[in-house]
Amino acid sequence: MHRILERMQSDLLDALGLAITVHNKSHDEKPSVLAALGVGADFAAAQMSGIGGPVPDALAYQVPVLSLDLWTDDRWPDLTLVSMRDRAPQHESSWEQVHGAAAVPGVWADDATVVVSCTLSQPASAATVASLITYEQLVSAALITTAAENATAIADIITVLQSRGAIEQAKGALMGLVRCDAERAWRMMRRASQEFNVKLRELAVALVEHISGAPAEQPDTGTPITPDERTREAARLMWAALSEHR
Amino acid sequence: MTNSQFRMSAAEAEQPPVVTATGDIDLANVNEFQDVLCSAAADSDAITVDLSDVTYCDSAAVRALFAVAATTKLGLIVPTTGPIMTLLSISGLDRVATVVTRD
Repeated sequence: MHRILERMQSDLLDALGLAITVHNKSHDEKPSVLAALGVGADFAAAQMSGIGGPVPDALAYQVPVLSLDLWTDDRWPDLTLVSMRDRAPQHESSWEQVHGAAAVPGVWADDATVVVSCTLSQPASAATVASLITYEQLVSAALITTAAENATAIADIITVLQSRGAIEQAKGALMGLVRCDAERAWRMMRRASQEFNVKLRELAVALVEHISGAPAEQPDTGTPITPDERTREAARLMWAALSEHR
Repeated sequence: MTNSQFRMSAAEAEQPPVVTATGDIDLANVNEFQDVLCSAAADSDAITVDLSDVTYCDSAAVRALFAVAATTKLGLIVPTTGPIMTLLSISGLDRVATVVTRD
């Protein structure tokens, strides 16, 4: 994770701080800063402590968020130079240089979201957001791998692996329908699960069963995945929309 | 370039090319939207995207618009009120693009 942040820093030369914030909704946990550089950790934590900012907004609305000048941005009246000086006086000289910021959200597992954010000494631009979008994809991929080494996340990973059969089947079907590569099929499923607010593995099972009319491949161990009616409806809508726009 | 949902009209008399979108922009067609945006931006340093007749758009469309704004001067035509305007102000896209509202 740190290596990704270092690469980001070489891309975003005017960055004063970078942060990767994760939120695992299924465990009812608050969002936390996973890795950071410069003032990134203190700044992301401050924004999430209630004064608001691009990071909590990106998490809440799941859209990229950009600011040209944070301290005067009318979206976050409580996020000011004075409040940051009070909270983290050790970074006073950095706070004085802060201008722009950007935050880009992503989903990397069922119910687990991530926000990649930066704080700049210059106003943020659309190019800043475009660059963060690239890194968000890298971070999400790395999270899936590193989570496997983390004991508390191991259960989640097992569930993801167990449902992989159905996810692979669903991905294959999407690749055939819209003639795209595996990466794009995966992104379409991720986005659909996010938008319909249904679990990715259940959506995959529902998709496969909707297309084939037969039961999907199920994990050898553990409980079989049975999508509820809402998930089945989401799968129907997704498939119909994609068939129509082919 | 024309298709059912995203139309592009060529640049004329000092005016940048205009991409007109209608209906819903979501994961099902965002790549198509992005393709039209890219081809409009390819031969011009500015483009205008007319979203007045868009009924729904989400994070996928916002990402596509940020991406095109990274390399091109972006103008947006949007309804004065409604979800699209809200999305623009939450994301701050309205601060890097020129937004013209239309009732």
